[in-house]
Order: sequence, then C-alpha cells, then structure tokens
Amino acid sequence: MPLSKELYRALEDIVGTDNLSDDPAVLDSYRYSLAHTAIHLGPYFDTFTPRGAAVLLPGSTEEVQAIVKLCNQHKIKFKASSTFWSAQGYPSTENTLQLDMRRMDRILEIDEKNMYAVIEPGVIGATLQAEAMKVGLNTHLPGSGCSCSILAGATSYFGSGPSNLYGGWHYDNLLAMEWVMPTGDLFRTGSLGSNCGWFCGEGPGPSMKGIARGFLGAKGAMGVFTKCAIKLFAWPGPEILPVEGTVPAYGVSLPELFRAYTLAFPSWKAWADAAYTIWDAGIGYLAHRQFNMFGRDLKHAMVKILTDPTKTLGDLEQLLQDPEVQRVTEESTRDFQIVLAGMTPRDIQWQDSVLDEILARTGGWKVEAMNSPEINPWMLLYLIRLGHKNLNLVFGGSYDGCFGMLGAADFGAANAEEAGLFKKKWEKHGAIVAAGGDCMMGPIGGQGGGGTCLWENFTCFDPYDRFSTEGTLEFFNTCTEFGLEKGWGVGMEKWNDQARGPDGRTPPKEVRDKIHRSHPQPSAFRYQHRIRETFNPNDLGDAYYETLEE
Amino acid sequence: MALEDFAPEMDRCSSCSYCKWIPFDQVKSWRFAKNCPSIAYHNFNSYSARGRYTVARSLLRGQSDCSETVKKIVFTCLTCGSCDVSCKICRYNLEPLEMVRELKFSLVEQGHELEALREVRESYAAGKNTQGKSAGSRGDWASDLDVPRIDEQPMPVLFHAGCRLSYDKELQESARTAVQILQGAGVEIGIRGDQELCCGGRLYSMGYRQEFESSAEANLAAWAEAGVKTIVTSCADGYHAFKRLYPRLGSQVEVLHTVELIDRLIQEGKIKFRSQVPLTVTYHDPCHLGRQGEPYVPWDGVEKKIMEQIVVYEPRRPRYNGAWGIYDPPRRILESIPGLRLVEMERNREYSWCCGAGGGVREAYPEYSQWTASERIAEAKASGAEALASACPWCERNFKDAVQAQNGGMKIFDIVELVQMAM
Repeated sequence: MPLSKELYRALEDIVGTDNLSDDPAVLDSYRYSLAHTAIHLGPYFDTFTPRGAAVLLPGSTEEVQAIVKLCNQHKIKFKASSTFWSAQGYPSTENTLQLDMRRMDRILEIDEKNMYAVIEPGVIGATLQAEAMKVGLNTHLPGSGCSCSILAGATSYFGSGPSNLYGGWHYDNLLAMEWVMPTGDLFRTGSLGSNCGWFCGEGPGPSMKGIARGFLGAKGAMGVFTKCAIKLFAWPGPEILPVEGTVPAYGVSLPELFRAYTLAFPSWKAWADAAYTIWDAGIGYLAHRQFNMFGRDLKHAMVKILTDPTKTLGDLEQLLQDPEVQRVTEESTRDFQIVLAGMTPRDIQWQDSVLDEILARTGGWKVEAMNSPEINPWMLLYLIRLGHKNLNLVFGGSYDGCFGMLGAADFGAANAEEAGLFKKKWEKHGAIVAAGGDCMMGPIGGQGGGGTCLWENFTCFDPYDRFSTEGTLEFFNTCTEFGLEKGWGVGMEKWNDQARGPDGRTPPKEVRDKIHRSHPQPSAFRYQHRIRETFNPNDLGDAYYETLEE
Repeated sequence: MALEDFAPEMDRCSSCSYCKWIPFDQVKSWRFAKNCPSIAYHNFNSYSARGRYTVARSLLRGQSDCSETVKKIVFTCLTCGSCDVSCKICRYNLEPLEMVRELKFSLVEQGHELEALREVRESYAAGKNTQGKSAGSRGDWASDLDVPRIDEQPMPVLFHAGCRLSYDKELQESARTAVQILQGAGVEIGIRGDQELCCGGRLYSMGYRQEFESSAEANLAAWAEAGVKTIVTSCADGYHAFKRLYPRLGSQVEVLHTVELIDRLIQEGKIKFRSQVPLTVTYHDPCHLGRQGEPYVPWDGVEKKIMEQIVVYEPRRPRYNGAWGIYDPPRRILESIPGLRLVEMERNREYSWCCGAGGGVREAYPEYSQWTASERIAEAKASGAEALASACPWCERNFKDAVQAQNGGMKIFDIVELVQMAM
C-alpha cells in the first residue's frame, strides 16, 4: 500500500526529497532473497522479504528521531539497517518504512589514549580498521567481514569473528551508545548518560545494554542506534598495510612482528587441547578455522586458485588431481589458522616458541605449504582485514551454515566428525556442493577458558536452481532433526525460524510461541515481552526481537 | 546477449555490497574507500551494481515499470567497471559490468533513451562523431601536421585521434604532440583526418549497441582497405573499443595506446629526455585503459556444474577483473622524466576512482559528473601532487572543468605533454 501523500510529504520534510523514495524499483533493491545467505532460516526458493512502503536515508540523529516519532503517530512499522548483510536487516511485514543508515557514516572520534572510537551506523569494519591502524589501534571485525557495519554488530547482533581471541566479541566491546528508542525518544547509555563521555557502557550512568540489545541483539526491531563507542585494541603493525600482489591475490608481508600459520592436528582432541592451551598461554591475535569453509576435500585446491590471479573455478577439477594438493589437503584435515602479533620482537619470539611447545605437546604441526611466499602473505592479509568474506558464496552463489555447535572447544570437537559425515552423505543427493562433508568454520576461543568455538558447517548451493535450493532446505530440516536426536540442540540453520516464515513474513504467533516455549530458557522471551511492551508500546518493530507473552 | 541471459546472475548476486567499495584489502582511509561514484553520490542501494541487479530483475518480472527514477538508476552508471573489480575479489560467476551494459541496451531498445543521450546519438548519425560537430572539420586538428592520410596513402600504423581530441580545441594539441613524438622517434604513422570515424565506444557505454556496431564495421572496413595492421590512440575509450569490443566483430588489428608505444620507444632509446620537469605528479588510471584495458580473449561456451553445485564454464571462461590492464607503461614514462616525482593516489590501478565522464554521464548528469571529477581532484591533492596526469582526453576534459569550477588548485596534463616538456 503506497504511503499517503500527506505522510510522504511529512517524511520528505524530514530527510529532503533526494533521501526518500517509494519508487517500486528502488523498493525492490531493498528486498532480500530468502534463497540466500546466512539467514538462518529456509532457504526458500524465489521468495523475497516484503517490499517496504518507502526507503529513507536519514542524515542525523534528529532526523531519525523525527521519522520514528512520525511512525508512532501513524502506527507504521520501521526497520533500520546499516549495511544490509543478511535478511535480518530487512522488514518482515508489508509497508514497513526502511531506514538505510548509509549516510550516517562518520567516524566521529578515535580516542587513542582510552582506546575507543565513536562511530555512526554506516561505518564499516575496513574503514574503521584503516583509521585505527594509523594510531596503533585495531578493531575487532565480525565474522560477516569488514564490509559490515561495526555499530550494527555491536548493538544489534553479537559480532563474533576471528579476533575474538584477542579483541572479544563485539557486544563485549560496546561502550556508551546513543539510542533512538522505539518511541522516538533519545537515550544515552553508560557514561554518556552522565555527560562523562563515551568511555563506558555501564556507568557512571544508566546501563541499558541488556534492555536495548535483548537476547543476541534486537536486529533492528527496537529503535535505532545512531552512535556508539567501540573498544579498540593494540595494533603493532604499520599505519597502512603494505599490500602487494595482483588482484585478487593480494597479500601483505609483515615479517618482524607477525606470523600466520595453518595448524593441523592428529585428532580432534588434540585440536581442542591446542585451542585451550593457546588461550591459557595468552598468545595469539586472530584464530579461526577459516579455509575449511571451502570443504575438507576442496580447501587447498581453492587456496591455490585464490592465490594465483590466472586461475578460476574452472581449474578446480584439475587441481584436485594434483598429488601435492591431495597431500596438503589430507595433511590439513583437522586444522585452523592462527595469527600471532608481537608487541615487541621479544614478544613474537616468545609467542612463537610457546606455539611450538603447544604443537609438541598436542602432536600438532604447521602446514608448511601454507607458509609458501605465494600463500602466506595472502593468508595473513585475509585474516587481518577479513575482506574476502564473500568467498562464502564463491561456488554457486549462496551458502548457509548448519549445526553451528556453539560452546567450548571440546563440545564441537567431540561431534565435528559425525556432523561432517552426516553432511557428506547428503552431498551425494546433488543439491549441495560436494565438498567433503566437513566444511566447518568458526572462531577459536574468545571467552574465559578457551571457549567459545562456533562450528558452522557451510553448505553451499545455487539460489537460481530450484532443485538445489529446495534440496538444501530438505537437508537443513534433517540437520535439525539430527542435532536434536544427538542432543546438540537446534542448529543455526533454524536460528531465525521464529522471525520469518517460508513466505518471508513474520510467522503466526502460535508458531513463534511454540518455538520460544521449546527454548531452554523461555523466561528470557517472557522478560523481553515486558520490555517490548514498555519501550515499544506501539510494537513498531518485528519478531527479530523475540517475545513470549505468557 | 539479452537481459534475460543475466537472470541467473540476478539471483546469484548475494547483495553483499562489495561493489560499493574498493577491494577491502586496499582500503587505506575512510575518506577514499568508496569505489562507485553512482552509489556514493545517490546513496540508495539501487545505484550500486547489487541494486541494478535487483532493479533489472524487477523490470524483467514486471514488478516495476521503467519510471524516470529507473532511467536515472540505469543511466547514472558510468560503466567505469570498479564494481566489477570488487565483485570479482570473491566471485567467479558474476559479470556486473556486462549486466548493466545490457540493461542500458535493453532500455534504449525499448525506447527509453535519455534526451541528452539522444542528442549524442543524433550527432553520430549526422556527423559520425559524439560532439555535435560537422564531419568535415574532424581533421582540422592535424591541418598543419606533415602526416600521411591513410585513405590516400595506405600505411600499416594508424593514429586514431578520437572524437574528443579531434574537436576539443583546448586538448587537441596533445594529439598533435603525440603524432610528432612518434614521428620523431621514427614511427611511420598515418591518420585519417576528416575521414576518421567515431570508435563507437562511448555510444556503446550509453546503450547504443546498434550504432556501435555500425561504427565498428565502418572502421574495420576502412582499415582493411588501407592495410592497417596497428592502431595507436591517445584515447582510453577508443583503446577499449578497439582492444576489447572490436575483436568480437572479427578485428585482428593490433591495438596500442600512445603510452604503450612511447614507453617502448623510451626503453629502446628512441626517445630521450633532455629537460628537467620539476613537478610532483600523480597519475590517474583511466578506467578504459586500466581495469578495462585487458586483452580480449575469445570465448564461446556454456555454463556447467561440477562437484554437484559449483558453477563453472565449458570451456574455461576468460576472467576480466582488472588484473592485466595497462598500468605500468604510463608510470614508467613518468618515472623516467628527469626532475618529475611520481606520487600515487590512494585509489590506483585496478581500483582507481573514475573521472566521471563515462557512460553518458558527462552529457546527461553534468553536476554528478563534475562531483565525481572533483572527488578525484581532492584525492590528487591529498597525495601531495601539484599536477595530475592522465592518458585519456575524456578524463582530462572532466578534470579541467572541475579544476576550473574550483578556481584552480591542480594542474592537469596528458602524459604526452609532460613527455614533450622533457624532450
């Protein structure tokens, strides 16, 4: 239903003519295919998120407030998104006003001494990292990559990624924030709420982090976060990365204080022991099981393609016949990548020797092929900048994760082989890429005691192909059944089932309630219902903020 | 190709937004991280490659009509190809630049051309140039040059001036200079003078496929008649047309940009520098010489799947991602000029920011075109350069206009002018 002329004019008065559109084609560029990526539901072939009523590009907090107040006045739902990475940032009901926060993209301050940055929603990881590096600092980058909004990962999701080990999850790094509440009122949290600056999210001043974020982030369903301070951490490298190489095989060589290794282990127990010991020893800057996302059988062949600008996917089959590629692939079966960063030359020497000791104790080894001059600078840059995240989609155009066993290293390691074999059997059905079953990737460590690891088993498919997309859905359904049968819980393939149904819209209340009641902690959603009633009385968000009435 | 042929890509594009930024590995600052002038200026998703994929799908499925907004979305694409480079950091089965060109063809063929571009098309129809000038005055730039006309005296090497250098009186000195430098170095070269025709490259980037093809066929016939084996041009648009587009129509003529030939002549000792040029200069990579200047590789194949769902092509499809464009010859020339200091802008080589003149944008959206150029001037200033050199008259024209609007602050040169200053 088109907006009334009166309302359109009112919105136009707020953001200006050039920053508002209800042209159908523009609105269609703000819909998301549910046959796509990391949406943790479906996938559903040829299904899209609902068309919005209009798209607005606000340029200031005041404009956001005015829009939200108008939405309350007219009882119109709204949803803000910064970089539109996944379906979570798109509406789930018709006629929602979509706020594209792209114009609010300033880095307002980098406080070098107190190690934080104050940013707006449109600031992406790559630009914040580039600016932070100039003053010897770095930002944690979420696993979705440096193309994504740092503010969104911190305020509205959980922001896990390769630098969890050193930089924490992004919700941990969230300091003070400026929140346009669902009513349009402005709330400044933590130290900012006491006019003491941005340095703290909890006080002196009101700590509203839990209220504003809810369980794993409110995903755009509870107002709009217009500014936040994000904690930064030390960067002992150069002010500008000295990138070399031919596109897309860029690399960076930082031999003095940095090391990038692919480690492999004789057993999953040894793998987990190494993950714990790395945490205990306090070494490591980034750690991720990264390139296994291409699949246990394909990963080294893919690394060879990606580090050679003359190669394409068309070379894959031939590379898989190469005995050396086969040998390295076999050697890397149970692997992960780690980057060490020394604050001084002595520090890096110490970390190197500690890592060698850990490998000696666990029986692990460094995969030497990954230390070659063609590959190692590429691997280091990949992990530091996380600018190739969309290799997730390299095969057929789409992927999503299944299982995603989130917990201590032992939990995933104990079940990884079984989960991989389960997938490998399904690969024979032809709907998903036959990659060797185990395509599990995710961060190593990040919380006390060496947890948490995430074992997201990448499943790649073709969103243009009905057989492939529907076959993937069938596979994911069986994954959920298998995960429940094994006691692993509902996998990440269904994480958002309560927020969006097969038609791309909010599922009926009884469906949502059933899901929430079966959750291990349904009281969290009952509590969130109370919060929603209090802070969002007109219910202008969507079901990504999870609630249970009774 | 037809727009429908891109339907698989429309669904396989994951809307990741990599097309809005330079390759992330190369980001050095907040200020100069964006790559696509169109989305940077207009901000709605629709103005990026990911958005144009969805707009194209919306049109194909009849979910939206070709409104004035849609025309603006389509024709504000400069076809600079920066989205293509960034997309292909991670993707091997998407061709966003090809898709948006097809989208332009599709709109034009359905009668949705822009008024400003219609004038260009009519200029081509009347005078075989894009400048609204008479065909008879095309050769005036070379009237005082002692250089053979190949239509009268067949020669194997042809210098093609192009529409901009032929008619832009402020710039055409660099065409004369290029010819004189090459002749001075012993290159036997001819021109077509007032017989020269538009290359068709700019018409192609505006959506006029038919006009491009007729232009290319006429040029190829004339070259064959004159025995042309090698074509040299100082125009990056012309270079791209001859190098990448003409071979699709059967051309086997060797194509060189002036900077490639001058670089070769310097290395062979046939061009020597005697004068100091005490300038700090930055080089702007023209889109059609840099990332789009890769050699053409013939391919006629089909999509297939391996490992159940990996999309590849049979036979192996060539990959154009800016890796093998013309980047080093102009830099080697500048570095060899005594006294000249070459500094790089943050965005360079395959991830350069566009000058803003391409795709019909200069003609149809002058304000946006000038904003795009002024962004590049700002980047040049940030590099510490006193002068910006390029190897394309379209870039030079747009930069000169932007500098003039800013009341100066940056000297703009074609590389051949700097070469001449040093000789």
